Amino acid sequence: MSPFLATIRTSFRRQLTYRAANISGLLTNLMFAFFRASVLIALFNEREAVNGLTVQGAVTYAGLTQTLIGYLSFFHWFDMMQTVYDGQIGADLLRPLNFFTYWLGIDIGRAFGALLIRSLPLFLVFALFYNITLPGSFLQWLAFILSIFFALLISFSWRFMVNLAAFWTPNALGIGRFVFGMSWTFSGFFLPLALFPRWLAQFARLTPFGAGVYIPIEIFLGLITGKELLQGILIQVFWIILLLLLDQWILSRGVRKLVIQGG
Amino acid sequence: MIHALRLLARMYRVQIHSQLQYPLSFIMDLLSSALILGFFFVAFALTLTRFESIGGWTLGEVAFIWGITEFSFGTMDMVFSGFDYDSFGPIIRKGQFDQLLLRPANITLQVLGSRFVIRRLGRMAEGLLIFLFGLSRIQLDWSLLKILYVPLLSISQILFFGSLFIIGATTTFWTMERLEILNIFTYGGAEVMSYPMHIFPRPIRMIFTYLVPSIFLSYFPAVYLLGKPDPLNAPAFVSFLAPVIAMLMLWLALRFWRFGIRNYQSSGS
Repeated sequence: MSPFLATIRTSFRRQLTYRAANISGLLTNLMFAFFRASVLIALFNEREAVNGLTVQGAVTYAGLTQTLIGYLSFFHWFDMMQTVYDGQIGADLLRPLNFFTYWLGIDIGRAFGALLIRSLPLFLVFALFYNITLPGSFLQWLAFILSIFFALLISFSWRFMVNLAAFWTPNALGIGRFVFGMSWTFSGFFLPLALFPRWLAQFARLTPFGAGVYIPIEIFLGLITGKELLQGILIQVFWIILLLLLDQWILSRGVRKLVIQGG
Repeated sequence: MIHALRLLARMYRVQIHSQLQYPLSFIMDLLSSALILGFFFVAFALTLTRFESIGGWTLGEVAFIWGITEFSFGTMDMVFSGFDYDSFGPIIRKGQFDQLLLRPANITLQVLGSRFVIRRLGRMAEGLLIFLFGLSRIQLDWSLLKILYVPLLSISQILFFGSLFIIGATTTFWTMERLEILNIFTYGGAEVMSYPMHIFPRPIRMIFTYLVPSIFLSYFPAVYLLGKPDPLNAPAFVSFLAPVIAMLMLWLALRFWRFGIRNYQSSGS
């Protein structure tokens, strides 16, 4: 087995062993999904649809965002940064696979593990409580699955970049908190972007955060189809390529500068 | 008592001093929490203007209770962060709690003074702004009692949220790590308390009435302060229970905390 696949497998298994943490996270996300869904139902108050988004769609939205939190882990990730500070990175740089690829493998394993025991059960339970909107065709399912995989790549390469700040400053944690917070605001995690003023929604879905969170949901709910759907996927591909290139570039400069601490 | 306060002041001074060591990072932390949480409200406000009202409450009325809750939570998160179960868990796990127990000072006081997060000033300012925004948009029928009740309500909320943190920290004596599930009642509770709570379905309301009595610290007082009709038809006096419930929660939390300490077994590492 290639080192990359082995990394994914190990990380996947590790994620599955945190059983209590996963169940606890699942219940928390589920309750938050209920809170948000209740607020949306109260807001719609008898109204059928706003900007093409139905109440049922909005409720599904609340469930989906909470489902994706564990899998994408978009806004809270300081693992790589930690290894810079405690010196573990010295050993990681010597591994038989590229430093970026190594962390990508770790993250894919983590994400799939979370998907299996946290995200999927959450969505199934949520669906027991509410009428939800599901993709209507095989093609739509396929597009959704593709787009949440792309979303993971965007999420990871973005988080990796934020963590790279640790190569330069002893206080990358503060920078991380700031940047992650900013990205949270444009992701549509809190309320559906479709309910925002048009200009704000359009801007948000062009950012990597909107592309990572909102576009998959738009596809799932059938808010975008045909040409628009293709456009959405292309926005995602654009961000993946750009962020990957930036990561490689910053990493290569950072490694030259890195002073390994501790040991 | 005076000795205790002096000790606490000293611990806070050290904390403040160390947190201001990286001024740029401090300012970024301050701004980020204010901006991000502020955006939550802006996003909600923008959405609400599309729908006009939520559960019969206007934007100004929601901002009123949202602002108070936000301010109180921010203050609590600054003062009580020693009990923040996110950071208290590692203290237990690494055996650092044993060190505290060996010191010749009250253990509760030491934990309280062990962390004082001044970047929470950002969240407090944000809450205050939302509260003032709310005030500017509503015509309140002020009376002396109402003027006195608003700050009392905020203090009650601070103690209430603080109690939840103490309970959260105590659970880590047994679990050794933070229980994310507690976020439902702390962060989730604060979120639920920011809305007119009658909009939530009955099971959720029951949880936040009988299991964790959050509703007495936001919705019921707000019904009185804002003069709103109450679709839940609760008797009028429940609007004034906030300080009582808060004191009760604090008492229970501290009892649980002491019980936890008595039964504490070091992780041994």
